Amino acid sequence: MRVTASLSIFLFLFLLISPFSRLIAQESNVFTAQVLDVNNSSPLPGASVYWEGDISSGVVSDLKGNFQIKIKSLPARLVVSFVGFETSSRVITVKDLEKSQRFFLKPDEMSLDEIIIQERRPDEQVRNMETGKATIPIATIKNIPALFGEVDLLRSLQLLPGVQTAGEGTTGLFVRGGSADQNLVQLDGAPIYNASHFFGFFSVFNPDALDQVELYKGNMPASFGGRLSSLIDVTLREGNNEQIHGEGGIGSISSRLTLDGPLFSDKSTFVISGRRTYADLFLKLSSDEDLKNNKLNFHDLSGKLTFNLSEKDKLTVSSYEGSDFLGLDEQFGLGWRNWVSSAQWSRNVSEKLFFDLQGYHSRYNYRVEFDDPDTGFEWKNKLSETGVKGQWTLLQNDRLQSFWGFQSQLYHFAPIALNPAVNSSIDPIVTNPKNGLLNSAFAGITYEITPRLSTEAGLRWGFFNQIGRGVDYIYENNVVGPDSPVVDTVNYKALENIKFYQGLEPRIAFRYLINEEFSVKAAYNRNFQYVQIASNSSAGLPIDRWILAGTYIPPIRSDQVSLGLFRNFDENRWEFSVEGYYKDFRNVIDLRNGAQVLFTDNVETELLTGNGYAYGAEFLLRKNVGKTTGWLAYTYSRTYRKIPGISLGEKYNPRYDRPHDITLVLNHEFSPSWSAGLTFIYTTGQAVSFPIGVYDVDNQSVPLYSDYRNADRFPDYHRMDASITWKNADKGRKWKGSWNFSVYNLYGRKNPFAYEFREIYNDDFRYDSGEDGPIESTRQGIVMTYLFTFLPSITYNFQF
Amino acid sequence: MNRFWIVILALAAFSCQEEVYLPLATIDGDVPVIEAVWTDNTYYNEVKISLAEDYFDTLETQLISDAEVFISEEGSARKIPFAYNVYSNSYLPLNTGEKAEVGEKYQLTVRWNNNVFTSSGTLLAPPTVDSVTYEYQEDRLFRDEGYYIKVYGEIPFEEDNYYRIRVIENDTLKNDRDDYLLFDDTFGLRFFEEGLELNYSFDEGDKVRLELFRLNQKAYNYLSQLVNLLYNDGGLFSPPPQNPVSNITVIQGESDVLGYFNVTSVLSRTVSIEPEED
Repeated sequence: MRVTASLSIFLFLFLLISPFSRLIAQESNVFTAQVLDVNNSSPLPGASVYWEGDISSGVVSDLKGNFQIKIKSLPARLVVSFVGFETSSRVITVKDLEKSQRFFLKPDEMSLDEIIIQERRPDEQVRNMETGKATIPIATIKNIPALFGEVDLLRSLQLLPGVQTAGEGTTGLFVRGGSADQNLVQLDGAPIYNASHFFGFFSVFNPDALDQVELYKGNMPASFGGRLSSLIDVTLREGNNEQIHGEGGIGSISSRLTLDGPLFSDKSTFVISGRRTYADLFLKLSSDEDLKNNKLNFHDLSGKLTFNLSEKDKLTVSSYEGSDFLGLDEQFGLGWRNWVSSAQWSRNVSEKLFFDLQGYHSRYNYRVEFDDPDTGFEWKNKLSETGVKGQWTLLQNDRLQSFWGFQSQLYHFAPIALNPAVNSSIDPIVTNPKNGLLNSAFAGITYEITPRLSTEAGLRWGFFNQIGRGVDYIYENNVVGPDSPVVDTVNYKALENIKFYQGLEPRIAFRYLINEEFSVKAAYNRNFQYVQIASNSSAGLPIDRWILAGTYIPPIRSDQVSLGLFRNFDENRWEFSVEGYYKDFRNVIDLRNGAQVLFTDNVETELLTGNGYAYGAEFLLRKNVGKTTGWLAYTYSRTYRKIPGISLGEKYNPRYDRPHDITLVLNHEFSPSWSAGLTFIYTTGQAVSFPIGVYDVDNQSVPLYSDYRNADRFPDYHRMDASITWKNADKGRKWKGSWNFSVYNLYGRKNPFAYEFREIYNDDFRYDSGEDGPIESTRQGIVMTYLFTFLPSITYNFQF
Repeated sequence: MNRFWIVILALAAFSCQEEVYLPLATIDGDVPVIEAVWTDNTYYNEVKISLAEDYFDTLETQLISDAEVFISEEGSARKIPFAYNVYSNSYLPLNTGEKAEVGEKYQLTVRWNNNVFTSSGTLLAPPTVDSVTYEYQEDRLFRDEGYYIKVYGEIPFEEDNYYRIRVIENDTLKNDRDDYLLFDDTFGLRFFEEGLELNYSFDEGDKVRLELFRLNQKAYNYLSQLVNLLYNDGGLFSPPPQNPVSNITVIQGESDVLGYFNVTSVLSRTVSIEPEED
């Protein structure tokens, strides 16, 4: 009793002089703390917190992982638990009230003899409002067998229903009938204009540096906009605030290293990550002189700093830089580079109101150099997007949440510049710059109308100005085409309005909960897009010409309606969903025959504009829990374009129209040391044009094509990949290593990459006039190129 | 740039090729192919008419010999009738001395099977070729070692700058897809004054004939699209293959038509590659 009284007096005096006195004085019988994930220090909302032996005292952590729990007596043991994490309990004494407390939960790797790979609520797909949204945990992505052993984010997303690929090995995504430039790929909120390395074979994301990825297949919240078909929202992970931690890997073609830890104090952290390829080494091993003197490499470097400025303020700064280089004989060089940076300030204005302010800058540039005494040149271009976005989120009550905000985006597409080398006899080319300013306001609510029926409604309103400095051309009789003479040129000063568009983008979704494990969702979305690529090849190239909406190029628009059934089974161990959608495209572009878009200032004369539509049904059966995890997906989808000037004005399929798409992804944990992954993919072949005949002109045998585009199909595509991972048993050592052995295209399927229709000489498609003597016979033939049959690779991964 | 793609595919190690068979659709009906050349040099003037055939057809190309073919000069009564010649398998002017005049516009008319096809073009003045030289060059990027020819001349025109150079090496026309040499004024024309190096290596003793054509824009576009099509490998990086846009139109009948009408001036030079003196 005496001790207690002394303690009380001491405590009273301490609180009086303590800098925390104001905090504690407000609610002296309350214990406040935050629940965080030990791996990345991210907050864990929804964690259960209670005093041991008194579950009724329990509270739940909020969106930021914070909680307050009433104190009945101290010391007492506090229990913190969260699904998928080991339960933590700690004795709380009066001393613990002196400073801010954090509970770091460790992912529960061995719970009920099951491995849980879970970054979301088990019943999330049933309860949330989202349709057309997919996530793959980074841990799962790392377990998927990979080409060259390079774990690849975008290629992993291709395994999800509704996402198509353009072809073998490439990372381009075609989501629900949209083209690759209709995806907004953003890293910490900053867009990446060319998210691939090696001409699309690898994506720019080093998986070790990532926290999470979310794919919105068209139904994106009103806070996002600017692209029609998808949002791929990638977040760099934050460093931990305990100690320096590292991970990395040494692979067949690249190595990577990531370091993270506290910066100065436990209130700030850093993470830095790098990756570099060494494909050049393989080229040097070639006996072919033409190949061994070449360079071919890429690297990525990213970093993120996190500062917990106060209990209510958090600042993150992140940056990514990545580039590729292809060099031939020191005479020809092609390089391209992305550099994106962003900063975000998050403030808890009050317990219910949150504010996020973000600024970013994204820059992409390429450069081509040709060192030749007569025709040498340097050809370069860059484009950039700079933006600021502010968003307020208000949690009015359990049934109503709302958000509102603004976003401003400044696009600058620099002039295409071709500068001759000294003594070169070609003339320089410089086009005019293109600039655009997109200001958007957005607002939305999530409202629980009844316990079963909820809605999420939002509106985004974009105001787009094509602005100066720039030039507009006036064509004779206002007819824009390759043969239309330019009758006048109008110059615009910096920031002067050239063309204005505005567009309302309503987004609405409903969810009806039939029971705890079964829901129905419906959604409607409209999106506008003001930037796009002027290209008609299916795979992106580093030198692709991005164009802005303007006087002659209207913004493209999509409207999508979708309906989905979401059902969980066996206590949320299994998820099943069926989603159907119909999507309408307006003002999509293609290029006229023989279009030249790279160096012209009159891109509009090379374009054809039309409409399109797509529809499909996506089935997904997924298991997230247990020793065996993975999913089986089937998609039936069609996509069409109808553009005057193509296919006689009739509808046609883009190359990525692939009606049937089956994907199986499996990962099995045999023991703590051994695990294996397996994927199987089957899709209808790409829609292409094969010749119907051949004719002679200009001493050439020329394939004759039908007027109808893409009326033929490649053979069906299928492939199986497998991997085995062995990791050393955890003996408490800091260094943890694992070996991954994977095989791409396990059974060596010869999936066509290209078909060439040409003459075959002397019955030998490899005929070489320099070596194989005179031509004795000629006939038409088809030569198929295929890539990657049975491609093994090995990677050593480590953590310390 | 071809090696550019070789490197990319070499990355894949791993790329392989084989000849395959695919079932292909066939041509519905007769599709005539007209290739008409009308120049200021009688040697080149002829009209070839044939039929397109199914892709795997092994028969000889079917020639059309019963068409009515003539070229008329716009703004005058001049009409040049053509007749089929069994030796050249093409239509040649009935009067062998007929040729185009600089600055005149010509219309081609072909009547066949109740179809009438027409096209027109203007004979543009040729540029000036001052000299043709050659020099031995070591192995360079994109170019093997050997003798390389440079053409020096002057192109004084402000517009309609569309040119083609054909090379005949020891009486054999270089007609591989790599051999097309087409240029316009996109990158200026100064390189023609300072010496345009041809992208072919020659050996000592070679006799090389150069032919420089100044084309109409549509004929140039036709050839550009033809070359693009010959390079189209149907892969991801290629645009969807399309037939070159013909400058010949169907004014009567339901038939399609392929080919082009090329009204062009011609300059030619011949050079023999002699050993360099030490």
